[in-house]
Amino acid sequence: MENFFRAIGYVLLLTINIIAYWFLHSHFHFIVIVIMVVAPVFSVITAIYLRKIIEVKVENVGGKGECGEQNHEMFFLVKLINPTPWMSLDVKLKLRVSNPFFGTEGEMLFSVPVYSFKGYELRIPFVSDFPGRINIEVEELKIKDLMGFVFLKKKMASQGEILVMPQIIGEKQHNMTYLESGMLESEESTKRGNDFSDVQEIREYIPGDKLMSIHWKLSAKRDILMVKDRVSMSDKQLVVLPELCKANIYELNVIMATTYSLIADLIKDKLTVRLMYWSKNRYEYEDVRIDYLEGLNDAFGKMFYEECYQDMNEASSHMSLVHPEMKSYLHISAQSGKAVIAVRENG
Amino acid sequence: MTKVKKTIEDMTICQGIKLSKGFYETKENRLLTLIVKGIVVYLLSMGSIGFYLSALDVEYNVLLCHIVIFAMALFSAMLYYRLLVENLGYLIVLVAFGGLVYTFRTYINSGFYAIVNMTVDEAAQYFNIDIQRIYTEQIENRYVTVTFTVLFIGIVLDIFLNVYISRRMQYVTAIFVIMGLNMIPLYLVLEPNGAYAGMVLSGMAMAYVFRSGKHYSPQVSVKRDDIKYKEKGKKKEIAYVYDVKAMMNAGIIALAFVVTVVSVVSVFKPKDSFNVGYKGNKYKELTMAAVSTILMDGWYGFFRMSSDVGGLQGGELGAVSTVRLDYQTDLVVHMAPYTYDRIYLKGFTGVMYNPYENCWTSVEHLSDFDEDMAPEANSLRDSHLEGHEASAEATMMIDNVETDRLYLPYYTYSCTDYNRFTAALFYPRLEGNNTFVDLSYYGGQGYTEADLYVPEENLEAVAQISEELGVVITDEDVINALIDYYQENIPYTIRPGRTPYRKDFVNDFLLDKKKGYCSHYASAAVLIFRYMGIPARYIEGYAIDYTQLYNAEIAEGVVYEDYYTGYSEIGETAVIRVNVTDADAHAWVEVYDVEKGWYPVEVTPTATAEEEYEDFWDMFTRMTENTGDNSDDVVNAIDVNNTMNKIIKNAVYGLVILAVIAVALLLVLKLGVWLKYIIVFLSADINDKLIFKYQSLCRKKRRKDKEFRGKLNYREQLEYLISKQGEVLDEDIRKSCEETISILEKAGFSQDSITEDDYHQVIMWLKKYV
Repeated sequence: MENFFRAIGYVLLLTINIIAYWFLHSHFHFIVIVIMVVAPVFSVITAIYLRKIIEVKVENVGGKGECGEQNHEMFFLVKLINPTPWMSLDVKLKLRVSNPFFGTEGEMLFSVPVYSFKGYELRIPFVSDFPGRINIEVEELKIKDLMGFVFLKKKMASQGEILVMPQIIGEKQHNMTYLESGMLESEESTKRGNDFSDVQEIREYIPGDKLMSIHWKLSAKRDILMVKDRVSMSDKQLVVLPELCKANIYELNVIMATTYSLIADLIKDKLTVRLMYWSKNRYEYEDVRIDYLEGLNDAFGKMFYEECYQDMNEASSHMSLVHPEMKSYLHISAQSGKAVIAVRENG
Repeated sequence: MTKVKKTIEDMTICQGIKLSKGFYETKENRLLTLIVKGIVVYLLSMGSIGFYLSALDVEYNVLLCHIVIFAMALFSAMLYYRLLVENLGYLIVLVAFGGLVYTFRTYINSGFYAIVNMTVDEAAQYFNIDIQRIYTEQIENRYVTVTFTVLFIGIVLDIFLNVYISRRMQYVTAIFVIMGLNMIPLYLVLEPNGAYAGMVLSGMAMAYVFRSGKHYSPQVSVKRDDIKYKEKGKKKEIAYVYDVKAMMNAGIIALAFVVTVVSVVSVFKPKDSFNVGYKGNKYKELTMAAVSTILMDGWYGFFRMSSDVGGLQGGELGAVSTVRLDYQTDLVVHMAPYTYDRIYLKGFTGVMYNPYENCWTSVEHLSDFDEDMAPEANSLRDSHLEGHEASAEATMMIDNVETDRLYLPYYTYSCTDYNRFTAALFYPRLEGNNTFVDLSYYGGQGYTEADLYVPEENLEAVAQISEELGVVITDEDVINALIDYYQENIPYTIRPGRTPYRKDFVNDFLLDKKKGYCSHYASAAVLIFRYMGIPARYIEGYAIDYTQLYNAEIAEGVVYEDYYTGYSEIGETAVIRVNVTDADAHAWVEVYDVEKGWYPVEVTPTATAEEEYEDFWDMFTRMTENTGDNSDDVVNAIDVNNTMNKIIKNAVYGLVILAVIAVALLLVLKLGVWLKYIIVFLSADINDKLIFKYQSLCRKKRRKDKEFRGKLNYREQLEYLISKQGEVLDEDIRKSCEETISILEKAGFSQDSITEDDYHQVIMWLKKYV
């Protein structure tokens, strides 16, 4: 509508000039008329040419290597490449921004100039409340000619992506065990009452057994020294099973943050963690061994391509069937907006 | 009251993803933006002034005007840098500008009048009328006065256009403002210089493009209350601020486009031959009569019933600022030429002068020609009938085309009125005819007391002039002395200006104005003659010169003898038909001589070149004006076939303009960068100032010294500088170097502020080694 009124105004000005020329027959008015007739044609033709030539490239620049971090600023760089001498003062970029993992999506319209020979670099800084895979797609360009008469559309399919890792939460939401806090098994064994290792059997004391392995209560009852024969969980690797449930995206956010933070803490102390999650796409568990932070990011990056489901116990429900050998694992789910970490025993 | 700054919340792109504040808080490059706007304002203001003046071919100090108007355009634009600057700046500008205008008001006023007068001169030529000049220019050095006026108009336009361009880019208002007056030269078929037309068009094109494109840049300044992002349903839009790069880019394209089109059009349709073969527009012609009336008489010319032609006002004086002529025929006279002298056709006889009312009134007995000229006519008739050698009897047929008054030649004996036509039988007093006037025809004395009366109000002025005439004895001496006095002291002008309110016409003429046209000379002369004891009267009518008779057409179908019998100074010729226009209207004096009776005396001097006087500004002009060959350029004949030459000429012209514009833009950009540096430097704290200084020195050094470019930190750079000076890095130098590095690092990286001494110490060090 704005263009329409501008065109009407322009035609009015041109008419006034034509009348003035007809009346005065001045060389100046003749030039003005020529300019006023040629200019819109020139303007539209250059815009058409610009539309043909212009390219869009989306580059993602995260705030943390190639990945971004939840609640931290990162940005996309939308490059409009224009090798022509023509330009536009107003190119509307229709951007679709989404986080497929969380199932959120939105649109935004940006208006930028495009310089001659250079184009334009639109830096879009943003902050994501949720981790996941942030997709940005330039769907359409609308190039306004210099005189503002027409908007020329151009369909585009340029897209970029940033993987946003969950923010490590400072205060752990689960009860920390010494093991979870990263103690070595030898250290763990020096502590009392905080033994989360698996007790394989209870037997009579054999000289050489550790004093700490003595089951004092049972020994008192039986009047013979009994010891707990234990198998360390770390020997079997710690399995973490988060629920990718998007029934409530805020709870999903909590699950992701808790899982990420927990694993990050564990691997910081050189513990190997097995991250397992239920792939709805492939209908099986994905099992990733994580030793380093890069591996954690890779694992989460891969996980963000998964489709989330609605049932909060979907992943754990398949465990006994798919992995009957798995005795226990850390199950991370959420309830009432808070993360719930539970050691689940299979079967 | 503390103003609460509006802040902008993060904008949600989609659930969980927010556009961060950094996106909005990036500020536009205000300085450069304002410079670009200033350039647009300059193009429009200087372009429009140059448009008008180049069309009229007015000379003024072009370079000075360009510099001042450009500087003022930039300055006006800069007023929008901050709200405080805007408010205070406008106040200061208005006060300073007001002071300057007051100081140079005479120059500005004279320049205005000069431009108006030149416009009117051009209009007079175009309409083929004699309006000539309207206003009195107090200072006649037009080069200087016009320069002042251009500066004045330019500054006013800068300020005015700046409001529309810098604030809202309202190009339509700007177009109407600048093109309003520029229609005048176009109406008069005067084309502007191509460069100025280009400037105006470029400015308009830029303003249009900027307005249409809205020069978007995805930034929002949070400091401006009126800019914030909007939400329209689900789609959100950012409110953008100017992107100066885009503005410059678009501006250059607009400029190049306009220059190209103007050049190409000028090649194929040259200005000089544009109107060749054009027969005109009949609708324009319809307006021309009205416009010429406005030019001659002003708007009230449509309503005025009396004429402003000197000598045709029926004794009304002082209301005419300028004698305005339409050269329309007032009378058509059929007569036989008989003398080389001027022939007067008398229409009004003023006897009583009314001071301060500024008019002459007649007396009843003179309103009829029988009473007025009868004694002289009867005496000359008697002489003719008696067969005097130099006597003659003549008839004049007068067709009153425009006037309703009776105009009769000296000395009319009888006349017959045929509605519009009058047939006058008259007896001219020719050279050698010394016929005495018979006093009996007067019925006694030839004059009355009224013919010697000088009003008390005029006595002082009249006495003063009379004294200046010196000792004169005879009437003839008095008359000649006054004519000489007028010729030497009181220049003739047709634009003396109106007699000021509550001033007397004669006193004002003799004592203040000291210039005038026929009515002034004649009125004053009558009173002076009377004061000197010579009976005199004020006469209005038409004066026909011999040249008009010579150039007149011969009347057909008439017999010479029916029009003239007796002695003729020029011998027998033919009856001619003379068109008497308002340009022939005149006022003169009748003086009574006891022998000749009442006879006409011409006291109005011929027009002389206006006096030139030299003051400071004349000298200034001489110093600043172009000292090159000022001879008029000979306009080459238009050769429409010589297209090739024109193409080359216009292409070169266009390229030169583009090159000049490019250089100017570069300079402006440099200036902008330098200004920005100065502003940032001045507003920086002492730490930043030191770093700025250091960086500036390093930049210069890097340009000249390739090796220095490889030195990346303070230590390397400073040690290099020391080594370049050929100094050995001894303990003292090393210590001073360390101190300098320490201060620079503190200034660059620490939160603590360095001291003034530190600052100066480093500067001294750098001066020594850089």
